[in-house]
Amino acid sequence: MPKSTRKQDKLYIGGDQTADAIGAAVPRSVEAHRPPSPPVDQTPRQNRDEVSGVSRRSFLETLGFVFAGTMVAGCERGPVERAIPYLNQPPELTPGKPLWYASTCGACPSACGLLIKCRDGRPIKLEGNSEHPIFRGGLCAIGQASILELYDSQRLMEPFANGRKKAWPEVDAQIIARLGEIGRKGGKIRLLSETVNSPTLHRCIKGFLQKFPRAKHISYDAISVSAVLDAHERSHGVRVLPHYDFEKAEVIASFDADFLGSWISPVEFAKSYTAGRCLDSKQTSFSYHVQFEARMSLTGSKADRRHSVLPSDLAGLLRELGKLLSSQVSAGPPLPEKLDEEKKTPDHGAVDRRVLIDLAERLAGTQGRSLVISGSQDIEVQMLCNSINDLLGNYGATLDIERPSQQRAGDDAELDLLVRELEAGEVDAFLVLDANPVYDLPNGEKVAAALKATPLVVSMTTHNNETSAAAHFLLPIPHYLESWGDAEPVAGIPAVMQPALHPLGNSRSMSESLAIWSGAGKPVRELVELTWREIHFSSKTVGGRFQDFWDRTVRRGFAGLQPHPSAIVSPRQVSAAWDEEPLSHGEPGKGRSKDLLTLLLYPKVAIQDGRHAVNPWLQELPDPITKVVWDNYASLSSALAEQLGVKDGDIVRLNVGEVRHTLELPVLIQPGQHPKVVAVALGYGRMGTERFFAVGPDWFQKQLTVEKGQTLGGSAAPFVGMTSAGRRLHVQGVKIEKTHRQRMLARTQDYHSLELPKNVDPGAPPRPIVQETTLSAFLKDPTAGSQARHGPEANLWPRDHEYVKEHWAMVVDLTACTGCSACVISCQAENNIPVVGKDEVLRKREMHWLRIDRYYAGAGPDVAVTHQPMMCHHCDNAPCETVCPVLATVHTSDGLNAQIYNRCVGTRYCANNCPFKTRRFNWFKYSFENERENLVLNPDVTVRSRGVMEKCSFCVQRIAEARIEAKVEGRPMEDGAIVTACQQSCPASAIVFGDVNDPESQVSKNLKSPRKYTLLKDLNLEPSVAYLRVVRNRESSKVTGESHG
Amino acid sequence: MADLYSTLRQPLIAGNKSLGEVTNDVSGVLERKTSPLWWRAFMASLLFLLIGAAAITYQVATGIGTWGLNRTVGWAFDITNFVFWIGIGHAGTLISAVLFLFRQRWRTSVNRAAEAMTIIAVMCAGLFPLIHMGRPWLAFWMFPYPNMRGSLWVNFRSPLVWDFFAISTYFTISLVFWYVGLLPDLATIRDRAKAGIRKKIFGLLSLGWNGSLRTWNRYEVLYLLLAGLATPLVVSVHTIVSWDFATAVIPGWHSTILPPYFVAGAIFSGMAMVLTLMIIARKVMGLEDYITLRHLDVMSKLIIVTGSIVGLAYATEFFIAMYSENPYETFLFKNRALGPFAWAYWTMVLCNVISPQLLWFKRIRRNVAWVFVLTILINVGMWFERFVIVVTSLHRDYLPSSWTYYTPTLIEVLTLLGSFGLFFTGFLLFCRFLPVIAMAEVKGVLSHGHRSVRSGSR
Repeated sequence: MPKSTRKQDKLYIGGDQTADAIGAAVPRSVEAHRPPSPPVDQTPRQNRDEVSGVSRRSFLETLGFVFAGTMVAGCERGPVERAIPYLNQPPELTPGKPLWYASTCGACPSACGLLIKCRDGRPIKLEGNSEHPIFRGGLCAIGQASILELYDSQRLMEPFANGRKKAWPEVDAQIIARLGEIGRKGGKIRLLSETVNSPTLHRCIKGFLQKFPRAKHISYDAISVSAVLDAHERSHGVRVLPHYDFEKAEVIASFDADFLGSWISPVEFAKSYTAGRCLDSKQTSFSYHVQFEARMSLTGSKADRRHSVLPSDLAGLLRELGKLLSSQVSAGPPLPEKLDEEKKTPDHGAVDRRVLIDLAERLAGTQGRSLVISGSQDIEVQMLCNSINDLLGNYGATLDIERPSQQRAGDDAELDLLVRELEAGEVDAFLVLDANPVYDLPNGEKVAAALKATPLVVSMTTHNNETSAAAHFLLPIPHYLESWGDAEPVAGIPAVMQPALHPLGNSRSMSESLAIWSGAGKPVRELVELTWREIHFSSKTVGGRFQDFWDRTVRRGFAGLQPHPSAIVSPRQVSAAWDEEPLSHGEPGKGRSKDLLTLLLYPKVAIQDGRHAVNPWLQELPDPITKVVWDNYASLSSALAEQLGVKDGDIVRLNVGEVRHTLELPVLIQPGQHPKVVAVALGYGRMGTERFFAVGPDWFQKQLTVEKGQTLGGSAAPFVGMTSAGRRLHVQGVKIEKTHRQRMLARTQDYHSLELPKNVDPGAPPRPIVQETTLSAFLKDPTAGSQARHGPEANLWPRDHEYVKEHWAMVVDLTACTGCSACVISCQAENNIPVVGKDEVLRKREMHWLRIDRYYAGAGPDVAVTHQPMMCHHCDNAPCETVCPVLATVHTSDGLNAQIYNRCVGTRYCANNCPFKTRRFNWFKYSFENERENLVLNPDVTVRSRGVMEKCSFCVQRIAEARIEAKVEGRPMEDGAIVTACQQSCPASAIVFGDVNDPESQVSKNLKSPRKYTLLKDLNLEPSVAYLRVVRNRESSKVTGESHG
Repeated sequence: MADLYSTLRQPLIAGNKSLGEVTNDVSGVLERKTSPLWWRAFMASLLFLLIGAAAITYQVATGIGTWGLNRTVGWAFDITNFVFWIGIGHAGTLISAVLFLFRQRWRTSVNRAAEAMTIIAVMCAGLFPLIHMGRPWLAFWMFPYPNMRGSLWVNFRSPLVWDFFAISTYFTISLVFWYVGLLPDLATIRDRAKAGIRKKIFGLLSLGWNGSLRTWNRYEVLYLLLAGLATPLVVSVHTIVSWDFATAVIPGWHSTILPPYFVAGAIFSGMAMVLTLMIIARKVMGLEDYITLRHLDVMSKLIIVTGSIVGLAYATEFFIAMYSENPYETFLFKNRALGPFAWAYWTMVLCNVISPQLLWFKRIRRNVAWVFVLTILINVGMWFERFVIVVTSLHRDYLPSSWTYYTPTLIEVLTLLGSFGLFFTGFLLFCRFLPVIAMAEVKGVLSHGHRSVRSGSR
């Protein structure tokens, strides 16, 4: 038996050897949940087949039968009225100890690897799987928050047929009959899904298509990147999405690709992007990142240089860049004089030509080590990117199309065809596999109308949505945490999803349903196993027996394989033709006046396409750039706002000529935005957000987060440009009308600039809160950019606290931090932080213990943006501790500033005296609007009552857990044994936590970094949180104004 | 009648009262039927008190969230009101103890009312630290009592604990001082009362006062001792209240000037409030002979002195902020004058520094209407002073990301009104049931025994 239960809990970590050696790991399944499963591998190996004549197989069969029997017996699901202790406690369950299971995130098709933390049989926290080769332990805000949806009581719980609750067999019989009838008549059957990255679902769809030969499967993505795939089909002969590697790219030129915020796979990209920007003293390799974009994206906020350009100018820019590059790459550097002569070049928009020359020179110098990408849905732009990458030899280096990404595979052309078929009434059966075309598509209303006339509409979904409203059969699918499944985000790295609790509803996975309808019905677990046996195991590289491979994979959550041979393609040489006329599917508004405003639709970091719009954590997550919560808005540049005579919060009416849709949104003035662009986020106005009228405290002056019966924000999806070449997220010719009404935007930050208000203190230097330097200055002097005012050198007073054993500290690398806010949600989930609603945020009472301060410095398109995570600094000389009259906040012997909730009487003196304003007060009794969501609460963390102060605890419950474990095992605590929730989820690995008293700990090393600084040094607070200075790869710093050549 | 006045010194009490007239004037109010005017004033005050009580009940039942506070501004109306009322409560002790020790005999006409005002104001003030707590039902945790929680004490480093001691001490001493001063007058009322409940109550309250020389002697000694005890409190209470701010790290709070500035401000506001009340009382209760223009004049002079100290403190704060080159402090004071709360700052300056300058003119000092208006302005200004200190320091402190604004909610405004309701209700009850003027002391400053005083009947 393993030495400690903890080891057992952590079996996933050990990898193959440990797991095999310990041998107690049984892939966890719902069926095996109770009664306890005897560890299969415990039987000595030689005994299995020979002794007692029972073969391993028949033993397992018997065991399976017994399991199935007990499962059936245990399936009765009456309400639990009494809590009864286990008579025979399952060996893996120790009350109070968490169990961890490796799985895969199903919140979006990026399919990040994750670990599920379960307490007493219920998942309470998701964390990134640090062993996963591509996501490396990061998990985004949406992934973190998706656990809350598991406990959403408004999930679809029962199958419905024509509005009536039905049992599954009945539903199946009806659907099979209808499908068979349609199949016999030769009717058209259409399956619509988003990108399917699950090999099992793929297989089941294939099986279904075999059964119904006239059926067709169409996949699309709500936020489409189909142009990238289409361009590769043209340029490389295969419709794939390359797997981008930002780590190897020394120069990154992004043309409107928000790869750190919302484009394809932000967690993976943030990991590799940060890895490519390493300022280690031993090895400094720092990529140069230039961003061309129209709005201020999260990626733009991290860029070394940022240029604001119209989406329609991207093609011109890229063509110009390609021209410059082709001359450089083939014939050496161009003569500057010659370039200066041809100043007048068409189409490269507002960007100075020198910018392009500089970029071309840098790219030419880093051939095979650079990356040119674009988030544009313009196939011409994507073709140009491909040509440039090809010219630079980046294919095979920073772009992998041999082991491509399968995170997005939607095909807009096929979708367009499908919509036309639907509208023509040609489709006889329409099966929607967890997709929501009525909401996502610009012509959703027409689709909805067409669905009404379609003879058979089946919607498989977790929630009632816009599309399912028209469905004849409404079939609940399980949350990804309660079902078996799999995913293969990148070819060759398939991953398993395993259930962490019994499904809360009477749901069934899509794979299982499709298999049943195509006559090969099996439980989903068997389907998944079968897929792996057939597809992944057959790879020659995997040796041994399937069961071992399967057990190992379930334990680890993923498998690293050679990609399936069929996935490998031979790229076709692309010929660069820079002077070619724009492709026929180019910018439709090409001929239009440049004076027209462009409407840019974009996915927000936390909201994306709106599929998680019912998640209150995500709605209350401040947008990393605008810091707005609970609302949608129209971002304008200050110049445009001035021209229109509108200010923040004024409601404007947007409409686009040919689209019969208007949208009224409050204005938000956004620094860095192109003056000819109005940016509106997608994903609002979702059905289901009506529930939020009940969010927040109930008192007589409350304002509702949404009016009763209204949805949150307005949907901008009808403005998406639908062409046969793809859905386009920018439309020219948007008209803005003032309405003379106002709606306050709830923002968690009111003052945005590092510069002090000019009307109060003109000419005052910015406060040394954000310290920044340039790469060249840093390389010359690693302490460059230090703005340390002289702090106290000697202390008159004896030190208040002695730290005999540990002294916890945290270092946040501001160069790495992308502001993605995954940590904010991770902290919220870990520490039971309540949701307060829009009105409370308007009143500046958000409860997040960890916030990310975002500051602007400078003006114009190149405005510098800094993200600064801000949590309790656990000061050694803490101002909060001295002022509390009842000793509710005290210092611990290991350097924590502890808040004792049950002693707090709520004078708020501590919060007033906190220079960082990181303390949060329970102004009301905040609770989930949805009572079942209480199941997500972490039992290790007190739920705070009304009237008490709370704040970041450095995840003290995790410290305690690690300490107890070390004590039980009689060893000292190791560095890295404690990972705070924020640190764990950080896709940029920007946060390091540990013991300062251990000179070898990572945090001690980081504290010795020349980039280290602490905030408000003059106050002699001795905070336990330090920051590492921002380094940007540019010539001058906007923050400090320092300039280095 | 001109021959009745001394040419050297104006008598403190006008009207050439006899001892009996004084007794009749003061006690008569209590013995007559309650006037409709009193009833109207009382009902209005009570209404405000009830509104305030309702607001507080709602707030305690629902949460501090019903106030306009936020994560950055954790104190606003609550502590502003607290400091305001404590300040109002300052004049009582000053007049009764300090002026007594300085032998300022004019104080006798106003000291009783001022002390009563003090006690009621301290009660109003004490309400706010209680209700500003997130969990007011646990307020007793602020009290260092022996307990079974592993012997868990209060944090003796916290200024709020010091506050608790300072205010409770002040309240106790003020109450005792006031009550001791009341004893001879209570006995007078007892003696005048016909047999019945009234006689019994006042008999109990007067603690068996018999008017003997020995009683008087002990009384005088006790009063003097209590005056000596109370005098340091005049300085200490507001000094300690100011430490709530001065020991904090927030720019605008963290300042050594706060104690003297607070004490001066408190006397300033207290005097203004005493004048406001006295001007009303002398008119309504017909006490013009006791509270004369001379009283207005003298107290106005005190207002000029303290007001000037306050004005100087404002200027010094600014100067020190600029001179210190501390960027946070510099910004804070510029922000007070030019930032989003500039309106509050300039209201304060207008009311506290500019308007009292009119009192340099004797004609204005002796004009009841002018003094009344000015004292009201000073009361408003002093409320704003505390608001400026509390809110403008907090709303833009160190990290610009947390900067906010503050807007009070209806509940807060009603709570403030309720505290005025409590104040006036208490004061009106005092006027109705206790002698407003210290008869025994006033008799001592009458021209009694001088040549031209008529002999009165006792």
